[in-house]
Amino acid sequence: MSDFIEIDNLSVTFAAKGRQVQAVKNVSLSVGAKESFGLVGESGSGKSTILRAICGLAPISGGEIRIAGEKLTEKRAKNFVTRVQMVFQDPYASLHPRHTIDRTLSEPLAIHGIGNSDARVVRALEDVGLPSSFRFRYPHQLSGGQRQRVAIARALMLEPEILLLDEPTSALDASVQAEVLNLLNRLRDEHGLTFLMVSHDLAVIDHMCDRILVMQHGGAVEELARADLASANMKTDYARSLFAASANRMLETPPKETA
Amino acid sequence: MSLLEIENLRVTFETETGPVQAVRGVSFGLGRERLGIVGESGSGKTITGRSVLRLIRPPGRIEADRMVFDGIDLTTASEKQMRALRGPRLAMVMQDPKYSLNPVMRVGAQLMEGLLRRDRLGRAEARKKAIAALEAVQIRDPERVMEAWPHELSGGMGQRVMIAMMLIPEPDLLIADEPTSALDVTVQAEVMAILDNLVRERGMGLIFISHDLRLVAQFCDRVLVMYHGRIVEELAAGDLMNARHPYTQGLLNCLPKIGGSREPLPGLDRTGDWANV
Repeated sequence: MSDFIEIDNLSVTFAAKGRQVQAVKNVSLSVGAKESFGLVGESGSGKSTILRAICGLAPISGGEIRIAGEKLTEKRAKNFVTRVQMVFQDPYASLHPRHTIDRTLSEPLAIHGIGNSDARVVRALEDVGLPSSFRFRYPHQLSGGQRQRVAIARALMLEPEILLLDEPTSALDASVQAEVLNLLNRLRDEHGLTFLMVSHDLAVIDHMCDRILVMQHGGAVEELARADLASANMKTDYARSLFAASANRMLETPPKETA
Repeated sequence: MSLLEIENLRVTFETETGPVQAVRGVSFGLGRERLGIVGESGSGKTITGRSVLRLIRPPGRIEADRMVFDGIDLTTASEKQMRALRGPRLAMVMQDPKYSLNPVMRVGAQLMEGLLRRDRLGRAEARKKAIAALEAVQIRDPERVMEAWPHELSGGMGQRVMIAMMLIPEPDLLIADEPTSALDVTVQAEVMAILDNLVRERGMGLIFISHDLRLVAQFCDRVLVMYHGRIVEELAAGDLMNARHPYTQGLLNCLPKIGGSREPLPGLDRTGDWANV
């Protein structure tokens, strides 16, 4: 059986001022159903662009992406968004500032002609641990963590199978990050979700993902299993340097270097 | 001699529902060292940093028993004196490049503006200095970035551009408000090394505001932990991992760790007496 998300030799090229910028170069990866897969790398390494290419926010210039064996076409099929949803990095920018939470959450239902939106919105809020009194508030009345919960609730409104998570907690405080990560893990269990997650925090990726792809300058560098990460068992120098820079995130904190 | 001394700093905002104290009696001194301020959002750490530059606009109010920078009393300095201090002597790197860079000015023009106007350099020389500053913050293609608009930069690039901009006039005191929050770990380490160098070689003072406790522990000499507008604990950075205050301990415990268990992360328990200060 083929994997759930298959990416074959994907390239993404942007044209900027007559210059071609290749953001992703021949990257292949595959994610099994209900697996949680992590993409790590420095900024500009193309990890977010891969997520954006999957959901159609970046052009696929070469190679192909298949979801459950179906090749993605230039114009996504109508049922695509009911399978794949994305949660963005910045909860301050990804919610419509002049729509109430209720309108934000019920819009996907209206578009897809799904009834019973009242009960669904209430349930969605409950699911992400927000009181139902938040339903008629605006985003500016919510904290960053609460907004990210709304963004997650919105992504789950159409009951997708795949969540694309683009640095879902990097804009949040440590204490709020813990709450959101716990929430994501619980929802993944309850809904049987497949995660494709981008983060530059190796500790977050390690906590959330089973397999990891390290990227640099748009290309894939090395794929690691979770056990390889904890035991520092990587083959390439770049992955090792990334790991060394995260040494303060290990379970046992190494003695502080005398700077 | 200490570079900055602050005693009993209070910042109050008048709101419709009455005055809100964002900073409630903060005192600290800073030498030519690296001081970290950590805490969650809303703890008052950014407001503390902004108060030093007097960048709080009415209806916000800054009050302090004493706020002295290098012999200059910041509580009584005129707006003109403050303008002369901001930039060449006191600089702040703001958190969000999306809001802190001018969206309708090319990056190069923004970097060169101060050099052309304040330092009265020629265009060619200003350009050379601006490119050198971009190279110093590890931007790979400075010529291209000089011509770019802020919206064409990623968050990490934008943050580095802002750091480069603040370091051009070589300030005595740099207040860095989450300067690396959008950077990944490798670039983060590089940027911290740049700041570190400046502290050591030029004797710059650095106030490093962050919510990343591990980063602060690694790069600062001393750490202030803030909660709800107050300093709840002051520690040598090396001792941060052995913090005694329950708030600091809670913040440390809720971080995921490489090789850690997959159990749900412990949340921050705010039921203790310390939370009701």
